Amino acid sequence: MSVAPSFYNAVSKRPWLANMLKPLAGWYANAAGYRQLGLKADDLLVEEDEAVLKALGRLSPKESYDRIYRIRRATQLSLQQKILPKNEWTKAEEDVPYLSPILAQVYAEAKEKHALDTLTVLKKH
Amino acid sequence: MICRPALSRGSQLALRRQGAAKLAQRGYAAVASPKASYEPTTIAGVKVASRDDNGPTTRLAIVAKAGTRYEPLPGLTVGLEAFAFKNTQKRSALRINRETELLGGQLNAYHTREALVLQANFLREDLPYFTELLAEVLSQTRYTTHEYHEEVVNVIRQKQAKLDAAAIALDAAHSVAFHNGLGAPLYPTPSTPISSYLDENSVAAFADATFTKGTIAVVADGASESGLSKWIEPFFKTVPAQPSSALPAAASKYYGGEQRIAKASGNSVVLAFPGAALGANQPETAVLVGLLGGESTIKWSPGFSLLSNAATAAPGATANATNFAYSDAGLLTIQINGSAGAVRKVAEESVKALRSVAEGGVSQENLVKAIAKAKFNLLSGSEVSGTGLVHAGANLIHGGKPLQVAETIKALEGVNADKLKAAAKTLLEGKASVASVGDLHVLPFAEDLGLKV
Repeated sequence: MSVAPSFYNAVSKRPWLANMLKPLAGWYANAAGYRQLGLKADDLLVEEDEAVLKALGRLSPKESYDRIYRIRRATQLSLQQKILPKNEWTKAEEDVPYLSPILAQVYAEAKEKHALDTLTVLKKH
Repeated sequence: MICRPALSRGSQLALRRQGAAKLAQRGYAAVASPKASYEPTTIAGVKVASRDDNGPTTRLAIVAKAGTRYEPLPGLTVGLEAFAFKNTQKRSALRINRETELLGGQLNAYHTREALVLQANFLREDLPYFTELLAEVLSQTRYTTHEYHEEVVNVIRQKQAKLDAAAIALDAAHSVAFHNGLGAPLYPTPSTPISSYLDENSVAAFADATFTKGTIAVVADGASESGLSKWIEPFFKTVPAQPSSALPAAASKYYGGEQRIAKASGNSVVLAFPGAALGANQPETAVLVGLLGGESTIKWSPGFSLLSNAATAAPGATANATNFAYSDAGLLTIQINGSAGAVRKVAEESVKALRSVAEGGVSQENLVKAIAKAKFNLLSGSEVSGTGLVHAGANLIHGGKPLQVAETIKALEGVNADKLKAAAKTLLEGKASVASVGDLHVLPFAEDLGLKV
């Protein structure tokens, strides 16, 4: 299980490939349109999921508040068929993963639990 | 079910028998009695007390100077206790628990007023694993925010909900007897405002200040000294030698007084007097506790002890005498629990019983029984119930020696009726600490009982 299917690890291991794809990635993120609504990429993770709910519970109160604010603003904009003025768009340096590291931790815990639940004990004697 | 071949079964049995024979083997010249006292040593800067009876199981405990007496803010000790065996830098809490289960071990964290104890009980051959685990818990626990909110807080709340009138009365008696330090509650009640002091950061800071080589002691019951010196040295390297900031610790002073707390369920009265400190040469206090007693040791009879006889006067209440020994002070308590009316009656009878001791009304026969009971309490405490483990550690972290069983027994045998009478008299003449919890309309004031507060 991973947070979302991604070639990130494979690409980041090869600097030449990473350098080549970086402008493309930047273009794609801008073209996806969520930044124009003031959202971050992690706001788009599907919330109806046990692990994501658990990870959301582990956000700090400030992060949690900001997330709700961004989502409500985006909903309102979508309703009005508008986008934010350009100076309020999410900047590339602000678009940092705040939820996926926690989500990865939650997945790792579940994986470890599953491994321990299904382990086979080999007796030495 | 897979049957093992007969040959392997036989060889297994033979092996096992050989091991058992080795454990039980004793030369004719060897001393017959097992070592009852803990032997103090220092291994790589860590204070260690060990005792080895060559049994198949080991009890290994870290006794840290982090009891409620030393907590700088209310609730930190219980927070630190609840954070024991949680996620560390190396492995998760779940892995710690599952691995321990696989090895057949038990992990336990509890605290007294002076010490926080992290204990592991396990099979003798697993010493390296559990030594590493305890050292890791001390120095590498992560104190994460989500564990605090998801687990620690809930555990504390559940334990708070379980506090009964007896526990609250005992805390209240300590509070009026010692005010700060030893007077801090052993477990904060649900109405204590701990949430403003207790969080994962304050617990981590408290851990930094208390989990250091100077403020912990390792107590091992049933581990070989060679094993300890071999494994403690490498694993305890990560434990810092000195705290970044030392914790305040004022000497205890006895005040005395009275406290009454209304509670809807349960009734309890604690009558407390200055008692014997750990390692203090006051055998008469131990004998007085044996004489007052409370719980009968034989069936279908109240026995000889004064309090159990006092309790027969009012069915529905039990009375019990205990000496709570701390490093620099002690508290001798008589605790009476039960229905309000019966508690009142038994409290009056208990004071009468104590007064009769002060007036010299103890028969020679009862004195002999009380001394025997005191000896039994001492020995069974250090052997069976595990209090010896905590006492040995508490003595070490406070710079004293572990309890010397043989000497203490000799001192107990030297107690006579005059000494006992004088001891009881001093108790009644000094200031008492009285705590009543429950139905205050019925429970007596100290004045009514004839005690000075």
